[in-house]
Amino acid sequence: MQNKNRIRESASRKIFNIINKIILALVCLAIIVPIWNVLITSVAVDADVMGNDYLLVPHSFTFDNYYRVLHSGYMQAFKNSIFVAVVGTLLSMVISVPMAYALSRQELIARGFFMKVLTFTLVFDVGIMPFYIVVRSLGLINTMASVIVPVAVSTFNVIIIKNYMTSIPPSLVESAKLDGCNDFVILIKIILPLSISILAAVILFYFVSYWNRYFEVIMFINDSRKYTLQVVLRGLMFEADETLGGGNYVYNNTKMAVMVLGMLPVLIIYPFIQKHFVSGLMVGGVKE
Amino acid sequence: MKKNKKDGTVMIRQPLKTRIGRQKYLLLMLLPGMIWYLVFKYVPMLGLGLAFTDYGFRAKVSFVGLENFHRLFTSSIFWKAFRNTIVLSIYNIVFYFPIPLIVALLINELKSFKAKKAIQFLIYIPYFFSWVVVGSIFVNLLSPSYGPVNTIIKAFGGEPIYFMASPDHFRSVMVLSYIWRQMGYGAVIFIAALTTVDPQLFEAAMIDGCGHWGRVIHVTIPSIKSTIVTMLLLNLSHVLMIFEQVLVMYNSAVYDVADVLQTYVYREGILSGDIGYSIAVGMFTSVISLILVLSTNKLSSKLLEEPIL
Repeated sequence: MQNKNRIRESASRKIFNIINKIILALVCLAIIVPIWNVLITSVAVDADVMGNDYLLVPHSFTFDNYYRVLHSGYMQAFKNSIFVAVVGTLLSMVISVPMAYALSRQELIARGFFMKVLTFTLVFDVGIMPFYIVVRSLGLINTMASVIVPVAVSTFNVIIIKNYMTSIPPSLVESAKLDGCNDFVILIKIILPLSISILAAVILFYFVSYWNRYFEVIMFINDSRKYTLQVVLRGLMFEADETLGGGNYVYNNTKMAVMVLGMLPVLIIYPFIQKHFVSGLMVGGVKE
Repeated sequence: MKKNKKDGTVMIRQPLKTRIGRQKYLLLMLLPGMIWYLVFKYVPMLGLGLAFTDYGFRAKVSFVGLENFHRLFTSSIFWKAFRNTIVLSIYNIVFYFPIPLIVALLINELKSFKAKKAIQFLIYIPYFFSWVVVGSIFVNLLSPSYGPVNTIIKAFGGEPIYFMASPDHFRSVMVLSYIWRQMGYGAVIFIAALTTVDPQLFEAAMIDGCGHWGRVIHVTIPSIKSTIVTMLLLNLSHVLMIFEQVLVMYNSAVYDVADVLQTYVYREGILSGDIGYSIAVGMFTSVISLILVLSTNKLSSKLLEEPIL
């Protein structure tokens, strides 16, 4: 009787496993297909996109679209995006890492208070206007600094680094202290080499957040030569869309080439640091 | 006894001055970050005071009391934005929130470690795309002339729908694109939590005669409930502040259903320059959002016997 029961359950388990695989395969397809379409359309010749097909199979392969895009006004936006992301990520790390290290040290004076300063900003978002007024009164409007400095620190990233550093045995710090090392030396020589995986994850987070910024750019920057790729791409996809009635008609292959540039850092960086990334996130992300 | 204790603490705690001296490097490391928080997170809070002024139009700023709030409560555009924000938030919680958990549980059912890793890798990718990229991907998918969705509709003899400009469909587009982008992020966090579930609990449940699904319901889900509540709280702290996704994807054809509180603030404040009033609208949103998060936190701390925040 019991044996029979077990067999029945395992049969239903088998059916479930098949259905489960089908569902997950559909989820994967829903993610892959639209990205695949963007990639192959960006390397298609004009003739392939004139008929307005949604390409699923590549018919042609050419870099002409990228050539066209990079020799046009988009190049400036691309350069601006790279500038903002590189300089911004550096600034963010230079501020966040020492701060996270200080907060990870249990003996820090008023540690609880400093942590409250950070976490309160997670639950209370003051909104865009007061933020705008502060940025404006600092004279940052229409400068590249306006899309870097005001968004330089992410509380999440600081807490992720801090949590990771807290998990490093304090005895390492204590013994270095006895050897006469100060905190800067300890951070650089001992803590940072042990935190590579979490730092890789946070660098990706910061880089991508700068690369993807849209509304700060249109809010703080009026000069179109300072626009980043995301702003230009929004214009191309939503405002120059023929069905929304505006702009010159741009073939979809050119649009998709701009879009690939807009997704570039993720496509390049993510596969490489994904391993670090998941292990790093595990420690930091679950309980912040 | 009391005196001893006091002596004890004095012996351990050196005077503040010495402690600051010994921690000067640590405090120095903290300083740039704290200055940043002060300038860009806390000084703006003072700016909320401008909600009680007519700042924006005249050179001279004068105190107007609650006039801005009176104005917003009697504005039909405000109420429309408020309603749209609430509706989108409810859609988000009802339709989006369970999906990462379900996907995580499904992935957890896979036996192959490699397949688990590969799917996690893949579903996380869209989270790194900007709303502009995600919006553009949906423009492609839903295009009335070449989008595959409309191709399917036409194949079944239907009329093509211009989803992005259709007030009847815009909210669904918002929710679906939100799911597409955010699903992997939530799922990966839930999967991480699932790996911490104590296997002994499964064995105990099995001995008690629990079937497979019984174990999922009685062991797995209770074990990760604090992660579930944390994710819910995070979600709640964002829902009312929804902004960039709408700003990227909306257009004048769908203002009626798409205009949310933050896009209203943006138009009134940045584009029209009515700063005092727009701060009042923003403040209303922030306060409601704070109340929502804190009350959920209170409720969950009763349920979980530990507060999350």
